[in-house]
This record gives sequence, structure tokens and C-alpha cells, in this order.
Amino acid sequence: MPVISPNAFAPPVASVAANDLAAAVPLGLREKVRRLERAHSAQRSGRAASVPLGMPAIDALLPEGGLLTGALHEIEAGPAPSGRVASHDGAALGFAGHIVGRFAQQAGGTILWCRRPTGTFDAPPYAPTLSAWFDPARVLMVTARRDEDLFWAMEEGLRCPGIAVVLGETRAADPTAGRRLSLAAEKSGTPALLLRAQPAPPQSVCATRWRIASAPSHSTPGLNDVGAARWRLELRRNRFGTPSAAEIPSWLVEWNDETHCLSVVPQALGRSSGPYQSELDWPESDATRLVG
Amino acid sequence: MRLADARALLPDLVTTAGEPQADRRLIETIANWCDRYTPWVAIDPLGSAIAEEGTETCSAGGFGGDAGLLLDVTGCTHLFGTGEAGERALLADLTQRLSRHDFSCRAAMADTAGAAWALARFAERQADLFCPRHGQRAALATLPVEGLRLDAPILETFLKLGLRRIGDLYPMPRAPLARRFGDQPLTRLDQALGTLAEPIEPRRPPPAFRTRLAFAEPIGRPEDIAAATSRLLAALCRQFEQAGVGARKLEIALYRVDGSVDRTSIGTSRPNRDNPKLMKLFEEKLGELDAGFGVELMILGAPEVEVWSGTQDALPDQNAPAVPVGVDGTIDLADRLALRLGTENVVRLLPRDSHLPERVQVTAPIEAKPAAAGAWRRVASLKGARPTRLLQRPEPVDVMAPVPDDPPRHFSWRQHKHRIVRAEGPERIADEWWRPRPDGSRPPAGEVPLVRDYYRVEDDDGGRFWLFRDGAYKVAANGQPTARWFLHGFCA
Repeated sequence: MPVISPNAFAPPVASVAANDLAAAVPLGLREKVRRLERAHSAQRSGRAASVPLGMPAIDALLPEGGLLTGALHEIEAGPAPSGRVASHDGAALGFAGHIVGRFAQQAGGTILWCRRPTGTFDAPPYAPTLSAWFDPARVLMVTARRDEDLFWAMEEGLRCPGIAVVLGETRAADPTAGRRLSLAAEKSGTPALLLRAQPAPPQSVCATRWRIASAPSHSTPGLNDVGAARWRLELRRNRFGTPSAAEIPSWLVEWNDETHCLSVVPQALGRSSGPYQSELDWPESDATRLVG
Repeated sequence: MRLADARALLPDLVTTAGEPQADRRLIETIANWCDRYTPWVAIDPLGSAIAEEGTETCSAGGFGGDAGLLLDVTGCTHLFGTGEAGERALLADLTQRLSRHDFSCRAAMADTAGAAWALARFAERQADLFCPRHGQRAALATLPVEGLRLDAPILETFLKLGLRRIGDLYPMPRAPLARRFGDQPLTRLDQALGTLAEPIEPRRPPPAFRTRLAFAEPIGRPEDIAAATSRLLAALCRQFEQAGVGARKLEIALYRVDGSVDRTSIGTSRPNRDNPKLMKLFEEKLGELDAGFGVELMILGAPEVEVWSGTQDALPDQNAPAVPVGVDGTIDLADRLALRLGTENVVRLLPRDSHLPERVQVTAPIEAKPAAAGAWRRVASLKGARPTRLLQRPEPVDVMAPVPDDPPRHFSWRQHKHRIVRAEGPERIADEWWRPRPDGSRPPAGEVPLVRDYYRVEDDDGGRFWLFRDGAYKVAANGQPTARWFLHGFCA
């Protein structure tokens, strides 16, 4: 699916049908109005319109030089490099933690973390590790039994002025719920994040969608210790951003646990950790499309 | 009398099994209903004790026809009239309403619970059921001595001695009576006459703040109930303001025309007397209430209040923005979430000083003090690398590992085989010997505590896991060293 295309700037089909006037307005003007609206909602909530990820190579593609504050962002755990379904979403959670940390740093307040437990094999996020990205003391942890409750809790959180960022862990992507969250986020200027343990068909109207898979780490030559965590990061959707050369921009990033920063691994170094094998639904020419 | 003897006397006797539990449920329903007169309702303690023990004998005050309720209506009768007229009207109203529900009942009113108890059971004339103020001595004199709530052996002795009326005990010298029968007869007598206080323990603690609204015609539409709630809430909030408190818990009770009661309550995480906010919380709950055939009375009570610690309520000035407590609205948000999802599902995370990874993170209710800024960072910095997700219960995995201290080469988890290419460890975490074991026993002195050896591993797909070996290797029956391995978390 072409994600970064002129169509991406158009509002979703449903809203075109609802409002014929919107379709008549030139594309550039519409984008300008959106930009003003976003700036207004962000200004009302007293925050910047966007928050940079801290990786210039990626921020260059994003609108306003970072993740939009009043928008919905989706993060999903992608398949492992071998094409197998990822056995866990630890890496996606790490990236979500990084984003939550960036948002929480920019705006004071509570972090609303909504999740649906998965029965007996439930693995909740582990606060000592998350403290590398943000202070877990600021987290209000909400457990919902049903998806409706989860989305309701997220929406309530988005309307509350004291909430810095809302994150929801869920399995299914409900297009209606996604749209509602997106609108609520736009209105209040509070960022909303959705974290999914499995990739879902792209339905919702999020501003950005990221797919994260854990990648082999780079260990000291001669030793077989686990190095700094590396993730394969894909930007599957970039609604208001700059189109990139590649169809799906992808990077190899490394989380440095000591300096607490996330950086793009230069292509040459990324290769040195072992030849990257492309199989199954991992894009073929991926290794050549590394940006760094 | 035994059932066989009874059958011999009356062959076509109809018998049914006694159901003490059902009796108890019924009497509780009636007690709920009686809350309309006073919050201070108790089930006769003599009767409830008998029903709980499961004994089938039914003495006076027991269940199965002789059950009793005690109502303390002090300060409640003015709703029915002034002075004695109000008291009589309340009594008449109570018996009339109960008999309309097909309960045969006898209600008596007196200054003391003991006197009312005796009159309700043993008064011979209808007029005697209402005992005027300070009239209990005269009223009780002619009643049989059973009315004193005595134990059966004492009662039998009294009857043998010819003490048949309560009045017979009045002239008796107290000291020999106490020496012969113990404290009970004198205590009971004093309680009945009012020289000794007998507090009634209410079934539910009466709220310090309550408002009631009775309707001339029963209401049933949800909008009407919401409007009535709003009026009750406004009245209650005024009471709060005068007393300088805020509600932590509010309970609304609907008294339906069929005699049943439906209740629901809301809780807040800090004292609240903000009418619109409380109403918003109630709106979530009112849908659960069932008006049945109609509601004739609503009572809103505040069972839990706390001293109001907030700022002054905003003056009605549109230009000045009100600055209430919790200005960012997070507390109100948490209240709303907790109301719909349950209090245990809206929590804060607090760190705990522990070496065991699963014990480090504890959840605490919203009103708990949050962890100090940086407390989590300090906890994390003392430990090694930790996973981003920790399994609530470690999952056993099949492992191939060289003994004794090497990380595993392969492990199988959920039917997937993971080949391990990189590993870190072991990080040895010993059991906390100062804590009792799960079964409550303490490890004997000198015993080596259980240890876990944790490894952070990476498989050939780049997935990072946190595994541990539970204890050291042991030699199994087949001579092979074995150990149990578990998966405990997923790393970033």
C-alpha cells in the first residue's frame, strides 16, 4: 500500500462524503488550515505543536520536525527478521516508552497508561525498566476488561487537561475508535498512542504508524554478550509529513542504556553486526534503503 | 415436641422443612425496608445468634415466626407529627405498611429496647403496645417473666419459684437474686426499665449526612430519578459546606412501592462536595438502578466523609476563573475511570525495596501518595538489566544448557524453539530469607535459601528474553543433572 502519497493528505473518504465543501477547497489551502488548527489546539493546551524524536534522520520526514502533539500515533510489533511472528513486543514497548518519555518531558502531568490484560499469561510493563524513559511515578495505570472500556478510558484521558500523554495497549484496531481518538487528540492537543503486540490491517486514521521489530544486537567482537538493544523501525504511515524516497522508510536504531538516547545506526555499522537476511514479508530491498 | 409425636396427634399435619437462611434473608429485606424510618435498624441479636448457629429450636426472638427488629427512632418521629402523636403515627404507619405487604407483625414502642421487645411479644391489649414516656415500669409489671429475654434454665427456675410476672421481681432484694442467678436477670431488668443503657448496634453504620425525598406519587422514569438525585445532592452539598467536610462515599437508596430497596454508591478519591462533579459520577451509576414498579422514597446518604481540605468555593463571578483543588482534573478523571472500571483497575505504581523482580513493582490506589520523583530511577539503577515486560507468573521452558553455570543454547517456549546466539549472566538473585514462605512457614536456620540465576539472552531472530534457572542443578533418578528453567520477561 502506498502510504506516502498525495492521497495521504486528503481527509478520509467518510468525511469527504459528509462534507462536499471540503472536497472543493484546494489541497494546499486545506493543508494550511489544518496546520493552523493544529497550532491552535497545541497553543491552547500550552504545548509545542510537535515533539522531535531526537533522531534528525527520522525527524526530517515528520511534520513540524517531530511527532505531532495533538494526534494519534500507532506503534505495532512487526514480524521478526526471519519472518516469524514476533514472540513478544518488548521492542515495541521500548519504542513506545521512548515516545511517551519525549511527550512527558515536554508537558508536565500524568501519563495515562491503559491496558487490557491477556489472561494468565499477562506480562505487564515493568516500571523499573521504563524509568529509563519517563518517571513511572507519573503513570496512572488503568486496566480494562473490554476494548470499549479501554477506548472510553483513553478518550476521557484525552479530554482531561492534566494528562500529558495517553497510551493504550490493545490487540484489535477499531477504525471508529481510532477516528474518535484522533479527533479527541486533535481537539485537546494531548497526544494519543496505541500500542499493539501484533500488526493489524491498516484501518485507522492515525498521524503516524510505526512498526518495530527487535534486531540482532551488536556485541563486542570475540564475546557473545548481549549488546545495546537494536530495533528495526519502519514508518508505515506518515500522514502530514514529507514523502520519503523509499516506499516505507526504515531504519535500524540502537538504544543506549547508559546515555539514555536512541540513535540511528549508520548503514555500515548496521551491516557489520551481521548480514541482514530478508525473507517472507520483510521488504526485499530493505537493506539498501537504510537511511543514516 | 417431636415431629412423630405431632403426627400421632394430628395425622394430616402439613409439614415443610425449616429454612433458617431464607428466613434470615427475608428479615434482612424487611430491615432494609425499615431504613425508611430510621438509619438505626438492628436485627434482634437474640434471633440472629440462633439462626447463625444453625440450631432449629426456636425460642422467643428466634426466626421462623418470632423474628424481631429493633428500630431506634429517636429524632425521627417529627416527620410524622409532633411529640407523642408523631410517635404513635410512626408506629401505626409501620404496622399498616407491613400488613399491606402481607406480613403479620406486632410493633411496640417504648423508651427502652427491652421494654419494647417484651411489649411486642407479650402485651395482651392493642392499646398497651404504645408505652408512653417513662411508663415502662408500669407497663412491664403485668407481663410474663419470659419478656425479660432470659436464658432457658433461669426462666425455668423462676417459674418453679412462682415468679411469673416481671412485676414479681420488682420487690425482690437485688443482692440475693444476683448471687442465686448471676448477673443476667438484673441486667435485663435494668435494661428494660431504662436504668442501664442498652445500645443498639445498627446493621449498617448510619451516615452522618443524609437527605430524603418522598414522593406523593411513585416515580419510575430514569429522568425523574436523575432529577430527584440532583435535588438530593444539592441539599447534601449544602450540609457538607456547613459542616466543612467533603464526601468520600455517597450512597443512594431507592425505596420501591413493592417494599424492596435498591442501592448504589459512588466513591471519590478525595473529599468532594462539588455538586456537578458528584452528579456526573452518579450519572454513570443511575443506569444500574431499577425503579421496579415505582419509587416512593429516595434517601441519599454519605457514609464516608472527610474534612474538606480544598479551597474556598468559587464566588459566582463569571469573570474570575474558579481554581478548585486538583486543577488539572486528574483526580476527577481517576474517579470517573474507577467508577466504571473498578477501583482496583485504576492504580498508581509504587516501587518496593526488594531483590525479587516480581516484588519490586506494587500497585496502590489513586489516593496513595505517589512515589517521589526519581525513586524509580534509583530502584532501577541498583539492579542489572531488566526486561520491559515481566510475566506475572514465570513460564516454564524446555532448555538445553551445558552444566553447571552456562547460559542455555536453546529454549522452547510455546512450541517455538529459540536458538540462543548471545547471552549475558548469570545474575544471581537469592530468595529473601527474612520473609515467610508462601505457606507461612519460615525457612529453618542454616538452610541455603533458594536462588535464581538470571540470564539475558538473544535468539537468532534478535528477540531478547530474560530467563532464569530455579536453584542449582540436582542429580535426577537417571543420573543426569537437571534443573528447572523459566522465562520471566521480555527485553527491549
